[in-house]
This record gives sequence, structure tokens and C-alpha cells, in this order.
Amino acid sequence: MAKKIAVYGSYEAKVHVRQRYWKKRIDGVKQRYWIKTKRTKTIEQSGRYEFYGKGKDLYKATVKAHRFMPKGFVTVSAEKFLENPERYGFEGEWIEREVES
Amino acid sequence: MVLRVNGLNEKWNLKSVLGITDMETVKLDFDMTPFRTVRYWAFRTMKWFKLKGFIILKSSKNNYHVIFDKKVSWKENMHIVAWVCLLSQHKALTKWFLMQCIKEGSTLRVSAKKEKPQPRLVYRFGSENNQIAEFLAYRKIVKSIITKLQRQKELCTPTIKTQT
Repeated sequence: MAKKIAVYGSYEAKVHVRQRYWKKRIDGVKQRYWIKTKRTKTIEQSGRYEFYGKGKDLYKATVKAHRFMPKGFVTVSAEKFLENPERYGFEGEWIEREVES
Repeated sequence: MVLRVNGLNEKWNLKSVLGITDMETVKLDFDMTPFRTVRYWAFRTMKWFKLKGFIILKSSKNNYHVIFDKKVSWKENMHIVAWVCLLSQHKALTKWFLMQCIKEGSTLRVSAKKEKPQPRLVYRFGSENNQIAEFLAYRKIVKSIITKLQRQKELCTPTIKTQT
């Protein structure tokens, strides 16, 4: 694969809080489930986008990456990211913190 | 008197870092190392693995990046970087090497980071026609993206002109 543009750093984003609950199954085993609540919390973590593709798409994707924070470590084509950015990231803000390359 | 206020509703920040990732170029990241040591290891590695040529970029004071010209496989790439780590006993380089192994691709920064400026070319030796040429071309693209982003940022920040 050709070269990729990496957009990385630390960010702050608001995510929905997940709540744990237990349910007794028919066979008697207590099964653990998670539900996404409406409550949100601010998280601070690091992430990285790795974009590949054409120059114009790369530029547009990099601009968009300033609004959509990566869901972990994402390697995606710039074209696909532009089609559906919510799939690869959530809204937040990059913050200045020491990051390693 | 306020004459013009531009783009108050737009918000821009360039707090993320932009870099170039690939698997086929041998790259080394020497942090807290004097230039002479970096040049020594670049020469030694180039000669031992027949890497044709290299360039050294200065990322900040005593921090340098080395890029070699020969195209290699990912396996060979990591073999070379591990060899340098083992012989140089360089802790920062070893840490960087481990991180590159985890994400399966070596990355070097192109944009500025905090108070550190953009890395700039300080030394070149040997051939520059293969991976170095490709890296520099890609660096140009990334730099143009950064320039565009900064221009956008300038346009979006409120400019208040006062009449004297």
C-alpha cells in the first residue's frame, strides 16, 4: 500500500454512558448486558486516523478530521471517510497534550 | 470603531498532528541525540544494508528523523530498525520502534507539534530517486494541506479592525 497521512493526537469528546445490567436466562444463567443511556460523559483519550487516497480527498478528510474524533485507531480511505464520517468518528475537539508518533 | 468581524461562528483548531505513514521506507526517529551521532548511525545503516542514500530532517533541537532511499518490505524494514536499536542502545528509538511494530506502519511527523516546528531537511547523502523522492512529494502534499488549514483558520478567527 502507498503512503498514508496520519492525523493523530489527544482529544476530548462527549460519549454516551453505558450501563450494565443482568438478566436471568431461561437456562438459569445470569447474563450480563450493556445499554447505551442518554447520559453523556466527557472523555479524554488519544486516537489516530490514517487516510489514503487522492490529494483532494485527503485534504477534505483532514479538514473533516478536525471535527470528528477517531474511534480508536482508524485506517480508512479518505473517500470512504468523507461519505460517512460518523461511522469512523464522533464529534469532539482535539486538545494539546504530549503525544508520541 | 469596529469595521469588520469575520467568521465568528466557525471554530478551528490545529491541535492534532499530521504525519506520513508507510511500510516500505526505512525510517529512524532519533530523539535527544546530537547530529554527529545521528549521521554516524545513518551512514553505518546505509552501508550495512545497502540502502543507497538517506536524508536527515531536524524536528527540533537534538531531535532528528532519518529516511533511507531503498524500497524494502515491512519485514526487512523492521529488521533494519531493530538492528539499529540493538547496536545503538538508544532508548527513545527502541520505544519508537516498538510503537511502530504495534501499529504496523512507521510514522514520522510533518506538521508542527506544540512548540516544536515542522521538521526541516538538514542533510542529504547518496541517491534520492526512490523512497526519498516519494516521501518528499508526499510531504509537499501534507504541507500544502497544513497551509490551507492555517489559511482557513486565519479567515475564521475574528479580525477586528479599529480605526485610529
